[in-house]
Amino acid sequence: MYGFEALTFNVHAGYLEAIVRGHRAGLLTAADYNNLCQCETLDDIKMHLSATEYGPYLQNEPSPLHTTTIVEKCTLKLVEDYKHMLCQATEPLSTFLEYITYGHMIDNVVLIVTGTLHERDVQELLEKCHPLGMFDSIATLAVAQNMRELYRLVLVDTPLAPYFSECITSEDLDDMNIEIMRNTLYKAYLEDFYRFCQKLGGATAEIMSDLLSFEADRRAVNISINSIGTELTRDDRKKLYSNFGLLHPYGHEELAVCEDIDQVRGVMEKYPPYQSIFSKLSYGESQMLDKAFYEEEVKRLCLAFEQQFHYGVFFAYMRLREQEIRNLMWISECVAQNQKSRVHDSVVFIF
Amino acid sequence: MEEQDQMQSSIEVEELEEQQQREGKRLEEENVVRFLDSLDSYVTLLDSLSSTLRQGWLELASARQSMGASRINGALLDLKFHSAATSLQVTHHDDEILNQPHFTLCKWASSKNGYGDEKLRENKLQTNSDGPQLRHRSQFAEKIPETKGAPLIVDDQVQKERTKSLSMFGTLVSPKLRAAQLSFETALETLVEIANVRLTMLSTSDQVRKELEGTEG
Repeated sequence: MYGFEALTFNVHAGYLEAIVRGHRAGLLTAADYNNLCQCETLDDIKMHLSATEYGPYLQNEPSPLHTTTIVEKCTLKLVEDYKHMLCQATEPLSTFLEYITYGHMIDNVVLIVTGTLHERDVQELLEKCHPLGMFDSIATLAVAQNMRELYRLVLVDTPLAPYFSECITSEDLDDMNIEIMRNTLYKAYLEDFYRFCQKLGGATAEIMSDLLSFEADRRAVNISINSIGTELTRDDRKKLYSNFGLLHPYGHEELAVCEDIDQVRGVMEKYPPYQSIFSKLSYGESQMLDKAFYEEEVKRLCLAFEQQFHYGVFFAYMRLREQEIRNLMWISECVAQNQKSRVHDSVVFIF
Repeated sequence: MEEQDQMQSSIEVEELEEQQQREGKRLEEENVVRFLDSLDSYVTLLDSLSSTLRQGWLELASARQSMGASRINGALLDLKFHSAATSLQVTHHDDEILNQPHFTLCKWASSKNGYGDEKLRENKLQTNSDGPQLRHRSQFAEKIPETKGAPLIVDDQVQKERTKSLSMFGTLVSPKLRAAQLSFETALETLVEIANVRLTMLSTSDQVRKELEGTEG
């Protein structure tokens, strides 16, 4: 039952909802993508993007361009939009907006720790971090030798601290432990975000439940597929699945014992929302699974804008921008590698 | 009588010379055919290498798209000292015809155990491992049933080495990254084949040139 958001929402968040709907109108259309897919060089892509909201961010970049440069500059646009919204937001919207960036924070922590394990320079690693996931003491991560030190020296003062309770050990950091740490942190973050949205109630709880459940289910499928043929045991695999979502708990039980992609398909086809995703794939194939999931996610994110007076539009906008940046990265790679015939393999149209 | 003997011996000498000429011509033609065969193989392998590398780079970009730029980037490459998983062996043939070195790729070989490329050609990637390495944390004791369809030969050591080399990007990596690894592995094998075929091509080219110069002289 909604709590009369129409009466009070605009008092604190009306301006920002209008801002985010304006940003949504600036997302690239199918016509933009068609023009981009016909580009011969990265400079052509830059020329086409100059007429979009990315124009000011790319105009001063010298030739020859690199694909990572295009992605970096487009990400700056996302970061600026986010920071503008965050500085204008009041509680609880400001906490909601911060939650959106914790996933990037986890990725940055794992990047620094993994790179340090591989004896890479910390400055080089910091340049590769996602700007939305930066925090003050991130460079100190390079000092930690195990997870206990990681928590005690750095993460205890960050928003990720509550997520560490399940993975604090004195074991040295190695590739397997880092992977388990990544997935355990992300699981704890998703569950915490889910609980926060449920506490907000109303339209936010309803829409965010759907979006976060889909995210949890997609993660479960990816973990299952990526762990096939690895050292990860069934019990450890099951521990990485989130405690909510459509697949919880029976789907997770079945996914934990899957040994190939066809068994995963067999599990997922029992759930009607995911039948359409797996019906697009041929047996034994997993290459197009990511695109199918992204398409479904985009559909759900666009639906979030059909309703007013809820925070889901902010989450949806951020995710749609990230998808757009992924599209631009793929198009740039295909153009740079002279493989334009494959450009439609991974581009997901938003409108 | 003596004249007849002389005539007989001169006929025999002529016949011997003709036979030698025929033999020489046959050898020349064989060398030319061998040269053209090696040239054809060389061009075919170059084309194959180009398409394999293109496929590998696109698969890597696809893996980056799937896993995220923070998980697939050059900053994660391991700079720690470690022994090479793959090495190139150079052997010399004592063959009279092909007195040239031969390159052999020793893939996924530790310092103790080597796997020649002949053995490794028999190994194919299997999605189900029938004996994963036990981890120090927990045990994996269940038997995995064989997949349906044609049986695949699995080398557990090779699979472990492949997984180890990918572990710099994380332990749970996308199948696209594994596919990219296989493509670059195939490209490396093709490169070694190209080197061997090029040696054969250059060797037979030299022989053909010498024979032509000898004929003209």
